Amino acid sequence: MRLSALLSAARPRLPPGYRHGTWPPDSMAARLRNPPGQRRRKIFVEPIAKEDWKVFKGDTVQVLAGKDAGKQGTVSQVVRARNWVVVEGLNTHYRYVNRTAKYSGSYIASEAPLLLSQVCLVDPEDRQPTEVQWRYTEEGERVRVALRSGRILPVPPQPRPDGVVPEQWIDGPKDTSKEDALAKTYRPSLKTFEEEIMDAMGIVETRRAKKSYWY
Amino acid sequence: MAAAAAVAALGRSLSAALRLPRARPGLPGMALNLYHKNLPKVETLPQVKFLHTTVSRRGLEEFFDDPGNWGEKSVKSGDSWNIKQLRGKSSEDLHKLWYVLLKEKNMLLTLEQESKRQRKPMPSPERLEKVETSMKNIDLVVREREIALRLLQTGHEKPVPGEWRNDFLGRTFWYSYKEWPIPWHLNKKHKKKRFYYLPHVNHFIRLRLEKALRKRARQQSLERTRRKVLERKFPDVAVKSQSQ
Repeated sequence: MRLSALLSAARPRLPPGYRHGTWPPDSMAARLRNPPGQRRRKIFVEPIAKEDWKVFKGDTVQVLAGKDAGKQGTVSQVVRARNWVVVEGLNTHYRYVNRTAKYSGSYIASEAPLLLSQVCLVDPEDRQPTEVQWRYTEEGERVRVALRSGRILPVPPQPRPDGVVPEQWIDGPKDTSKEDALAKTYRPSLKTFEEEIMDAMGIVETRRAKKSYWY
Repeated sequence: MAAAAAVAALGRSLSAALRLPRARPGLPGMALNLYHKNLPKVETLPQVKFLHTTVSRRGLEEFFDDPGNWGEKSVKSGDSWNIKQLRGKSSEDLHKLWYVLLKEKNMLLTLEQESKRQRKPMPSPERLEKVETSMKNIDLVVREREIALRLLQTGHEKPVPGEWRNDFLGRTFWYSYKEWPIPWHLNKKHKKKRFYYLPHVNHFIRLRLEKALRKRARQQSLERTRRKVLERKFPDVAVKSQSQ
């Protein structure tokens, strides 16, 4: 029970009628569009299993339908809950941002999300749209394979939610070095955790527990 | 009375310390207005032993981050401790790491509360999640080792013995034994508890069973209708699920 409580504290459960958008679920925009007690028409989303999802952030895709049909672009955002893919610079509409009473705001192009069925992955060498399948290599690694040519489409490196790039990481004052973290100091013994700590700290328990009854 | 005023003044000076990084020498027991910081240091009076009036507030600065990070929009932090890394650590190391993480968690919680008070975003809130997962992992490792030792020595997994019992309403539940100072035949309150049910309860057990069955049937029919709706809206999903 404690573990599930901890997990639910880390990731709060969304209300049942929550409508997903391109904004993160714990932002002001989410709270504005999903006030408590709101009941909106249910949006039906084609159920795609987690392991069957093929399009990732940073992939090159071709748009098949809409205003920019036939153009290729990089995926900047994926919203799995609604099978959405936001392609950079394509399928844009224009709006004003940062409006105040005096300033009319800046006119910017903002991308609208596309459904997964309206985009198609692109072969890296051909630069033509292809069907892609998940297959296993001889080593046992799961990769995306373009069906027409048989080439492997590598999954682009996904950015971590805390923005850390492992290759460029330098340890801070509060970080443990790699050697210290991986160093094995455990020596198995028949003592419990409490007994080992008592030995290490030199605590000697001379008190005897009073007789207690378990029922 | 004087002590309460002292503690209140200490609290005020703490929030002042958040804005002004440098700690200044405080006054001794009597005047207790820690805003007047230009008077020289005097030794503490004996009756206010618990009140600090020295420069170094030893311990309290650990509730705050390194002063170089004050006012930053984001503070970089590494990964949380993995279970695999923690399994290779000795009990002493885990014990020390637990308290280091606890102090870091207290610092982050203080920071979170202060940013709520000042209505500003907390810099890098993912640090709190990382500390919590690390502490959870340490707890898991210690529990794993305890269970392994107990299985070896006694053959039982659970620390506390228990059994399945019926309560007076006919429900079956896991009763875990509790530690009492007196034997059961002297425990009046425990003897009043009934771990059996009388025959008239059978009717209600049946009603409860019917309720549970109706709920399950409702859930199953709901799932079936939802699947039908999805198949109607997305025909290729229906074809794929039928072929599999």
